[in-house]
Amino acid sequence: MAHPLGWSRRSLLRASAGAAALTAGGVGGVGLTGCSSSTTASGATRVTLWSWMTGMDSYVAAFHAAQREVHVELSVIAAGLSGGYAQQTNAIKAHNAPDILHVEYQGLIQLLATGGLRDITEETADLADGYSPAAWRAVRPDGRTWAVPMDMAPMAFYYRADLFEEHGIEVPRTWEEFAAVAERVREADPAARLTTFPLNDGSFFAGMSWGAGDPWWRIEGDTWVVNVAGEGTLRTAGFWQDLLDADLVGGGATGTQDWIAALHTGRLWGYLGAAWGVGTLKKSIPDDTGRWAVALMPSWDPARPANGMQGGTAFSVSAESGVPEAALTFLRWLSTDPEVPRIGATFTSPFPAYLPNRDVAREVVADDYFIGDPVYEVLDEADARVPEWTWGPNALGLFSSVADALGRVSSGATTIPDALRGVHRTAVATLRDRGLSVREEGPA
Amino acid sequence: MTVVTEDSPRANGRAERKRRRPAGRGRLTPWLLAGPFALLLLGTVLVPIGYALYLSLFTERLSGLGFDGPHDVFVWLGNYADVLGDTAFRDSVGNVARYALLHIPLMLGGALLLALLLDSATVQLRQLWSLSVFLPYAVPGVIAGLIWAYLFSPGVGPLNDALPWDPLGSDGVLPSIVTMATWQWLGYNMIIFYTALRTVPRDVLEAATVDGAGPLRTALAVKVPMIRPTVFVALVFTVIGSLQLFTEPLVLRSFTSSVTSTWTPSLYVYEAAFVRNDHGRAAAASLLLALACALLSALVMRLSTRRSR
Repeated sequence: MAHPLGWSRRSLLRASAGAAALTAGGVGGVGLTGCSSSTTASGATRVTLWSWMTGMDSYVAAFHAAQREVHVELSVIAAGLSGGYAQQTNAIKAHNAPDILHVEYQGLIQLLATGGLRDITEETADLADGYSPAAWRAVRPDGRTWAVPMDMAPMAFYYRADLFEEHGIEVPRTWEEFAAVAERVREADPAARLTTFPLNDGSFFAGMSWGAGDPWWRIEGDTWVVNVAGEGTLRTAGFWQDLLDADLVGGGATGTQDWIAALHTGRLWGYLGAAWGVGTLKKSIPDDTGRWAVALMPSWDPARPANGMQGGTAFSVSAESGVPEAALTFLRWLSTDPEVPRIGATFTSPFPAYLPNRDVAREVVADDYFIGDPVYEVLDEADARVPEWTWGPNALGLFSSVADALGRVSSGATTIPDALRGVHRTAVATLRDRGLSVREEGPA
Repeated sequence: MTVVTEDSPRANGRAERKRRRPAGRGRLTPWLLAGPFALLLLGTVLVPIGYALYLSLFTERLSGLGFDGPHDVFVWLGNYADVLGDTAFRDSVGNVARYALLHIPLMLGGALLLALLLDSATVQLRQLWSLSVFLPYAVPGVIAGLIWAYLFSPGVGPLNDALPWDPLGSDGVLPSIVTMATWQWLGYNMIIFYTALRTVPRDVLEAATVDGAGPLRTALAVKVPMIRPTVFVALVFTVIGSLQLFTEPLVLRSFTSSVTSTWTPSLYVYEAAFVRNDHGRAAAASLLLALACALLSALVMRLSTRRSR
């Protein structure tokens, strides 16, 4: 008999699972590690892996073709905040985590605070020199290594080079010039804007603040220093508030159908994105070949140019893994073997954290979409410009707080700087509530 | 649907027959019959509720930088106090209250109207008509949500310009979500009402006609009072569903900044459990939500028995 309570728990679960699967690009499917023996029938060591990385199955297949000692069992999980972190955190809590966990630099510390990650400082010490310095810093928040870096996501400015040229607009190097360009774009086409400032995306705002060089968290000895509304952040906040007030940029979301349509039809002439934006543009608007170019992010101080990151993948070994050596064998291969970017180039535009692999990617990724400066050269420089930054143990939750607070900006109920001051207070209170040692650096 | 047939003469007849059955057919039978239900109730409702109750009394504490992992601390009712004192939670309750005030009369009223029209009409395509109104219920909530979100989107969706409100703006998301939910649930409830209307004895309707009642009078003075128990049951489920509103705002979140991560109590629970890893607070909030659902359903049921007396 159909029970009319159809709306309650059942659809709630279905909805969350469905939403998670959808955002994972339809590759959803919840995996569970079997508590099986640690070796396969052929004698290989069995390693379980949870990941939402596109193409991970291809990498695993290539790894199996290359050696026979380690057998990786991949379970594709929902992407990060769409359920991946929740699943991994719960698995750690329930003591049935896989051997290898998928983390992003921004989520590493929050996952670390579950106590479920293995310190791999010694085992990976020899890899230090190969990685981009920003990547190596990101997996070593306290001087111990907690993850193996995979790719990097420095932010960059994507723009319609054809329209810029047509109207004689120079690519902005500073934020001041950026505001002037925003005005020129609107003059050229009253229906067009230079870019959108996605008010519903906390990780984007964090990346922008990162570029302003004012870390939201710092570790001092045994204490978290929290400063979400520091000078750089508030300068960033005020800058975008002014642009929104003057109607020079939109406040809508990125990644939506509307956004893609706006990029394609020339309603948006630019996109402040990360390294993975290369793939986003190629896939979302393949017809726009030969229109877009990549440039470095504008900076606040031309003498000390800087840009933040948005995302970036790494992999950790779980603390309870019985086969950490085998897990690291795979991670070492995944992160540093030149075969990996070659495979990746067949379906995406990888930007590896391991520098020799980046050179491989540079050669094998088809560079026929963008015009202007070579993409990998721009991104390399962007990677080198990433300043010091530490994510906090509440980073992922803070993204929601930022998005919630900024949600009230579009109606005029608050301003971006005021919203950030509120977020700072919440962040400090949350960490103190959890028993952490916190020192607050007051809002500027 | 027992809901519908409870008061029909056939159900009463069955109950009488059961009572006349000779006793001593084995005392095991009731246990065997109730067993599967009891096991499921225990495993999927009572044990989880008990575990949630347990979780809600603890919170995770870290120390120093937090890299050594958390330990559980017993905090009595601290999580409940935190939730009730949280403005985000109170705002979320306000949101579902405003949603319920719009959605419930609109959806149930519409469903009742359609059911009455369907019942009185002598249309040939009755089945086709009821199927087409019922169809939205068959569309999974997330898919429907995404389609609505596209329809609401500026630039690509036709509804953005056509609607009198900005469907993704800060004041517009509430009517938008009401629209989405009403579309989804209207047909479902219409079918329930229509099925109940079919069980209204035809001789009663004929008597009403003989007494000179027109179709409108018959509908309002005879049919509606006779299916009142069904209407109240639907009301209970809709009240509970409104409190648990989740899918529509979750989907809209990726399209607009106007839906916060804690826009409804269910989203508040989701955010606490799966983004902030605060299982104690999530458990406390979900128990409070369950309690509110229970109290409101009891209130509505009480209202219905008092009314029909």
